[in-house]
Amino acid sequence: MDPIKTEVVVLGAGPGGYAAAFYAAAHGKKVILIEQDKKLGGVCLNRGCIPSKALLHVSKLVNETRDSSRWGITFGPPQIDVDKLRTWKDSIITKLNVGVASLAKARGVQVLHGRGYFDDSQTLRVETDAGQQFVQFEKAIIAVGSKPAMHRDFDLGNPRVMTSTEALNLEDIPENLLVIGGGYIGMELGTVYASLGSKVVLVEAMDSILAGADPDLVRPVAKYAEKAFRETRLKAKVLKMATSGKQIKVVIEHNGQKLEELYDRVLVSIGRSPNSSDIGLENTKVLRDDRGFLKVDANQQTGDANIYAIGDVAGGIMLAHKASKEARIAVESLLGGEAVPEKIIIPAVVFTDPEVAWVGLTETEAKAKNITVKVAKFPWGASGRALTLDRTDGLTKLIIDPVTERILGVGMVGHGAGELVGEAVVAVEMGACVKDLASVVHAHPTLSETIMEAAETFYGHSSHMFSRSQAAE
Amino acid sequence: MDVRLPKLGEGAESGVVVSIAVNEGDAVIKGQIILELENEKAVTAIPSSETGTVGRIAIKVGDKLSVGQVIFSLSSGGSSASVPAAAKSSKGPEKPIKVPQSKASTIEVAADSEPMGEDLAAEVGSATAAGLPLAASPTLRRLAFDLGIDLATIRGSETGGRVVVSDLRRYLDRLRMAASRGNRDVQVSTHGSRDASTPPKVESIDFSKWGSISKKPLAPIRQTIARRMVENAVSIPHVTQFDEADISTLLQLRKKWMPAYEAKGARITVTTLLLKAVAKTLKKFPIFNASLDEAAQEIVFKNYVHIGMAVDTDQGLLVPVLRNVDAKSLLELSKELNELADKARDRKITLEEMKGGSFTISNQGAIGGGHFTPIINRPEVAILGLGKTGSRAVVMADKTIAARSILPISLSYDHRIIDGGEAARFSVELVQQFENFKEEDITI
Repeated sequence: MDPIKTEVVVLGAGPGGYAAAFYAAAHGKKVILIEQDKKLGGVCLNRGCIPSKALLHVSKLVNETRDSSRWGITFGPPQIDVDKLRTWKDSIITKLNVGVASLAKARGVQVLHGRGYFDDSQTLRVETDAGQQFVQFEKAIIAVGSKPAMHRDFDLGNPRVMTSTEALNLEDIPENLLVIGGGYIGMELGTVYASLGSKVVLVEAMDSILAGADPDLVRPVAKYAEKAFRETRLKAKVLKMATSGKQIKVVIEHNGQKLEELYDRVLVSIGRSPNSSDIGLENTKVLRDDRGFLKVDANQQTGDANIYAIGDVAGGIMLAHKASKEARIAVESLLGGEAVPEKIIIPAVVFTDPEVAWVGLTETEAKAKNITVKVAKFPWGASGRALTLDRTDGLTKLIIDPVTERILGVGMVGHGAGELVGEAVVAVEMGACVKDLASVVHAHPTLSETIMEAAETFYGHSSHMFSRSQAAE
Repeated sequence: MDVRLPKLGEGAESGVVVSIAVNEGDAVIKGQIILELENEKAVTAIPSSETGTVGRIAIKVGDKLSVGQVIFSLSSGGSSASVPAAAKSSKGPEKPIKVPQSKASTIEVAADSEPMGEDLAAEVGSATAAGLPLAASPTLRRLAFDLGIDLATIRGSETGGRVVVSDLRRYLDRLRMAASRGNRDVQVSTHGSRDASTPPKVESIDFSKWGSISKKPLAPIRQTIARRMVENAVSIPHVTQFDEADISTLLQLRKKWMPAYEAKGARITVTTLLLKAVAKTLKKFPIFNASLDEAAQEIVFKNYVHIGMAVDTDQGLLVPVLRNVDAKSLLELSKELNELADKARDRKITLEEMKGGSFTISNQGAIGGGHFTPIINRPEVAILGLGKTGSRAVVMADKTIAARSILPISLSYDHRIIDGGEAARFSVELVQQFENFKEEDITI
């Protein structure tokens, strides 16, 4: 096959890669998008955000049919057809796969399926089904993403030990499931399996689940886990894991005791590692840090002037929307532009029950960095809308600069917090002040009012909450 | 944190500091021009790699600086942390304020009675510590960055000091006023490459309103050329004298002697012959080989004839200098000229090889064109432009008409020290030299 010449090649068709390819094509560049998987969309679409959210939607429904007995509506226990559930989940993925592929076609982006490997700073070798295909490029964008980290001692070669990828395949619903790691992936998938009927034990090495998030935002999630999981063990450690017939024997150290237990499946969710090896980076000037993430500058440019890196593989918070933003920065740079050298504001959402979301500065970070802030909180117990949903386990809080009264950050936990955080992102990005949020009219009765009411508590005159301390100031 | 000399580009490892655009205690933003460095390629503007407040400056004008060498130390990253320092420096009304510029070289404006950098200390705080961008919309932050303006130096009119479009507009208006006031008492500086003749900042025009466009940043070498051309064009009263020379005989001589030169490994070009003739003319009219020392109010006559030859390269105009043209044989000159032109095109020419010229020739003959008005290469006082030689019908001395090779000649001279009569005499002599080129000069 003759080498293909292109202006831009994008390696990896996840939410970073395809966004970059489409954006570059929209600016008139000849673009080739390379994806080793048969399907486009990357982890997010095939093995991450999308399938997990489909399953979490089902979890919510199951939980609500149970909770509804409090309102006088009683359902029988759910009949779960795992095959049908899986088919539905997969059909969403297929729809999106096809969508991305047809958008690529419409944009004139050529898609090559195969593993890409850098031969030098201008050449990619792609191992396609039809043989080797060389691509000569002017600029390359690496968007190869990350994969679930697997501890060597846990890797038994036994399919019952799963990462998020296998857990989302939904082979069956194990009676006893051990989740190792209480980060957002462990918590989300633990929630899915618990509501589908598994008895879930969660083991976390740190002293809290969702480490890094503000404790008051984590509390309602921990409370949910207490109810939904058989057990949540903090400061616990898995010492040993071995196959034992159709089960996995696990030795766990917790509270100074060694527990030996049998599980039908184990989910290892201890983080993600970059896919930066085996793509020929040693043949380029791209630099890696000691954890394997590619080093990039504010324009997402690597040590190699021809090569950019975006998304998970470029380090930082591993979120799809961060990758998409970086895709834009990289493409603008290769078009001759320059990124504004400033921190990018990226919202984070954890789709637990209830959802946790934040943007900008967190209270935890402010404490750690000794930044003086004021915090205005509005607990959802005082929200009419939260009461009608019977979900008062929520909190909205604003992190405020005491001098300028600028909103530095917003944190929230509660039903639908993931959607609610959108307004907060705009406020932080635009440099809004508490007064701005307090003066904007919010529709009643909605959960969005909690943002306005939190702003009002800062001035001590929230309609629905009386705060003596604020009023006294 | 230290700001060091970044990589300069292919082959360049060092340079000499021409000017320093920052002072200790100044606030700098990433991308702002901090110094100008001259090396064999050109004068290059060096941007800051970081944002912060300038600590001790480790270098001075005239220092040789190598890649990686410390330029100055920088305290704290956040741009607004440096604002109080900038505000302090504007307290004295006569003191100039530096306006941060990332895209263009720094312009200095005299302080307004209304201080421009306001005391923003009260508005610096937790947002910076949290690493958040300044309180302004992302669109405005982008615009300010593109304009090379640090939003932290603008007082925002909205709650909490949030900066909005009208604040930026007000700031720009004040800059423009201050700049035009500063330009009124312009003093022509004879040494610094950055002086008051820097044109006032021009507003960008949105050409995309009328159709599709594309943009390309002005390369540093192009910026240097642009700045020098403006300086030369503005500070020298140019007059350009046009003439023509019949070089038919000269061409025949060249043809005749070409094989002899080739046998000695040299290619004799028309330019070499003209160069020789120009050197002879300059010896007869030393004022065209002189310079004006404005500071001393003296005319400096040079006893040497060093002629700069303008060379058209991919990167732009370069002018290597041929030394002692009057004292060299045509064989020597033709070899040297070839070497220098090749070096210039390969960008291997050193700064030293482009310095010290006393006269310049710009020969466009190989490309085409007739008369043109070349701009004098200061501190020289004259430049000769040569067009394309063409076959013309000429009335000869015996009133017959013959086809002759005619070379268009354009001589620009500095009217401050050269009068029209002198220029006409020079022109006549030059034509004579071209038309009656002596065979003894070419004989080897």
